[in-house]
Formats: sequence, C-alpha cells, structure tokens
Amino acid sequence: MTNQEVEKYRRPVRILHWVHSGAFVVLFLTGLVLFIPQLAFLAEDSWTRLIHRIGAAIFIIVPLLYLVINPKAAVRGVKMAFTWGIADMEWLRAAPRYYFLGDEKAMPPQGSLNSGQKMWWFLTIVCGVVFILTGLVMWFARTAAPAALLQWMIFLHAVVFIVAGAMFFLHLYLGVFHPLMTEAWKAMATGKISAEYAREHHGKWYEEVSKSKEQPAK
Amino acid sequence: MAEKAILYDASKCTACRGCQVICKQWNGNDEIIPSPSSGDRVAVKSRGTYENPPDLAPDTWIKMKFTEAESSGKMRWLFTRRSCMHCTDAGCVRACPNGTLYHNEFGTVSYNKDTCIGCGYCIPACPFDVPRLKGNRITGIAKADKCTFCTTQGLDRIVEGMEPACVKTCPPGALAYGEREAMVVLGRQRVDLLKSRGVGGANLYGENELNGLHVLYVLEDSPGAYGLPVNPRVPGATIAWKDVIQPVGWAVGGLTILGLGMNWLVARANAKKEEK
Repeated sequence: MTNQEVEKYRRPVRILHWVHSGAFVVLFLTGLVLFIPQLAFLAEDSWTRLIHRIGAAIFIIVPLLYLVINPKAAVRGVKMAFTWGIADMEWLRAAPRYYFLGDEKAMPPQGSLNSGQKMWWFLTIVCGVVFILTGLVMWFARTAAPAALLQWMIFLHAVVFIVAGAMFFLHLYLGVFHPLMTEAWKAMATGKISAEYAREHHGKWYEEVSKSKEQPAK
Repeated sequence: MAEKAILYDASKCTACRGCQVICKQWNGNDEIIPSPSSGDRVAVKSRGTYENPPDLAPDTWIKMKFTEAESSGKMRWLFTRRSCMHCTDAGCVRACPNGTLYHNEFGTVSYNKDTCIGCGYCIPACPFDVPRLKGNRITGIAKADKCTFCTTQGLDRIVEGMEPACVKTCPPGALAYGEREAMVVLGRQRVDLLKSRGVGGANLYGENELNGLHVLYVLEDSPGAYGLPVNPRVPGATIAWKDVIQPVGWAVGGLTILGLGMNWLVARANAKKEEK
C-alpha cells in the first residue's frame, strides 16, 4: 500500500450525499410502516407522517441547493448518469463473476463511477423525481386531485419505494460490507482513496486525474 | 351473527334531514358554524337549494342529496342518502394499511380511530366518496372519519340491540333496519309495489353491488339519475396497491437481502482463498 491518496469526492458532494441519504433513511423507515402492519402502531397519531414530511423537505431542498450553488458540477453529474456505452454492457456482463468470485479479467477499466454505481446514480435521479412529484401531489393536492390520479400517485410512490429501497440495500452493502470494496466507504467519508484502489477500481478515471494533477477530481 | 342492513326507501323519503340531525347528536359531532377560518370543514352557504351542508365532512357522516330531474315536462325531486354504504367488498378496508378499517360481526364497516394513522388512502379508494380526513394538511397529522353504522365504541347501538340513530328518528319511515336478508326481501316487495303503481323504473340498489351493500336503496329511477355509481367497483389502483405492490415489495426486499447475504459468503470465501 502506498501512502499516496487521490481525492475522489469533494466536500460539497459528500455533504450532499450524507444529508440526502440521511433524509432517505428517515423517509424509508417512516414509509415502511405502511408496509408492515405490525409496525403501524408507530404511526398512530400520525407522528411518522410529520417526520416523513420533514424528511421530504430536506430530500427536496438539499439537491436543489446543490444545483444552485454548484450548477456546473450538478449538470456534469446528471449527464454522467445518462451516458451509457458499450463498456458499460461489458461491465454488467462481467460483474457477477467479479462480485462473487473476485475475477476481474473481463472488467473494463472504469471512470469515476463504475457502471454499477452509475446505475444506482441513475435510479437515484429517476426514483427521486418520481418520489418528489407523486409525494407533492399526495401532500398538497389531496383534495384538489381527482381520486383516480391520487390513487396512481400512491401506487407509483410505492413502486419507486420498492425499487429504491431494494437498491439502497445493495448500495449500502457494496459501500460498507463487500469484501472487495475496501475503500468505497472511505471515498464518501473522507473524500480520499488510495492511488492503488483508484487504479484498480476506477482505472480510466485515475488515468485522467493523474494526467491533469492540477485539476481537482470531479 | 347475521348480517344487518339499513333499507332506505327514496319513494318514502321527504328529505326532512332528521337523520342528519340525530346522527350528529348521537355521535357528538359538532355542527360547524361556518367561518373563513374553518379550513377543511364544509362551510354552509346558500346555493339555491334546501340541500345543506354541501358535502360530507369529518363531522358530517350523513347528508341528504337533492337531485332535480325533468321528465316529460314535469320536474321531479329525487332524494338520496349520502353516507357510508358499508360494502362487502369495501375499497376502504382494502386500502387501509393496518386494519384500522374492518368488517365487524354485522358485516358493516367499522374503524378503530385510535389506530388510524391518517394516511387517507381510504378516501380515493371509496367508490362512493365517503370517508373524510380531519387534520392538518401540512403536517399530515390527521384521522379519518365516516359513518360507523352506529357501532362507535361507547356509542354502540347495534350491540345493544337498537337500530341505528338515523333509522330510529326517520319520521316518514323511509329507513328500515334489520337482518340483511329481510331487508332485501322488504326492498324487493316495495319495488314490486311501486311498479304495480306505475313506477316502471323502480329498482333495488345494493343487493349485489360490491358483493352486497349493507345500506340498500329503493329507487324510483335508475341509480344514475340519483347520482349513484351505476356499477360501483373498487378502483384498480387500490387492488394493485394492496394485493400486488405489498407482496411484491416483500418479495423484492427479502430476495435482495438474501442475495446480498449469499454474495457476502461467497465473496468472502474467495477473498480468503486469494490471500492464501
């Protein structure tokens, strides 16, 4: 292990990540009571609903703040989520062997986000937008919206809840528990990863940063 | 215990609204003095009709609906009861996430206000637009309310062998109460009588709708003429949410955690092998 480190995530991105994921966890848990009747006693007198709304406000405002403060980085980030190529398909094909058996022969070198992270990032944006739009209708247009619309808002909110919830477990697992993802946690906690880890896991990106040392990463 | 039902006879109803009064009295639901600040409550104002208040509300569980219909140059005044129909296939019971709304031993729909979380999912799920939410729209702290068929805890008339308050008070005898089967028979007899008197469109509403309502209507015209849903159904989205989304959610969540656990075991074993 060399002591050399590279910056993976800058401070604003990390703050955005932690505040937003904190809000997500609060929203997830207070929404979960609707799926577990045995836990519904927690929701009696609607306290979870109040907490859910506070969480929702943070969930909506924080990304918007980031967008206002750091528009260039935000646009670049969003673009990244929607840019998919052949290398991503190769990655997806090779991923199971890598994540189970540690076999990285077929894994193409990755950018700042590997294809799996990019998939999660893409889902975060799409599910986030659906969450917010359907949630706002349920929150503010309860009486104004026609019953049929309201019902499908509830339905869609639940669909993205399942998708984002399941993928959230995956994200948490890969970031914290997977035996090979030794520094993913560090990247988001301290912002820095070792050059070695960067080379192995984000080869393409590492090359770019080493070429232009003066330019800050991402 | 046998199922109970209310039989409402529109041909006898004078729309005196005595049922509205006794309902509020028995259940301790305040009448609303309208004011600009009454917010989610239904304000009372003149709208050129005797119908009042204009809609059901958390404190108004029953109201008479007046419909003006014209046929062959004659104006007819059609009266209907707007209140919970106590469906057998009840959208609200299906939508309720924690069993707050349930079918009681009489087949009617009760709810436990203590456990209500205020999600309001019962409201769009109701084919008759009956439940109402009382609370703060911004904070989301709320409780749902609707007619309880006089089975409210502490105010339960049915268990005591009494008829619902609205039936008890009805001056023209337009409301009858008893075993559901007996009410169906009574309703059919009444329809036959009306037909023999020349009311060709007379019909019994609620016998089979939503697998049988526990409030049956004798109507002199088609249900549509009274503003009732002709073929009421539990909305597809309600069925999809409860019977598809909930089990799918559990399956997806469970399989994800299971898969990740398996991955961890396999990947860790491999990582250890590599180290050696």
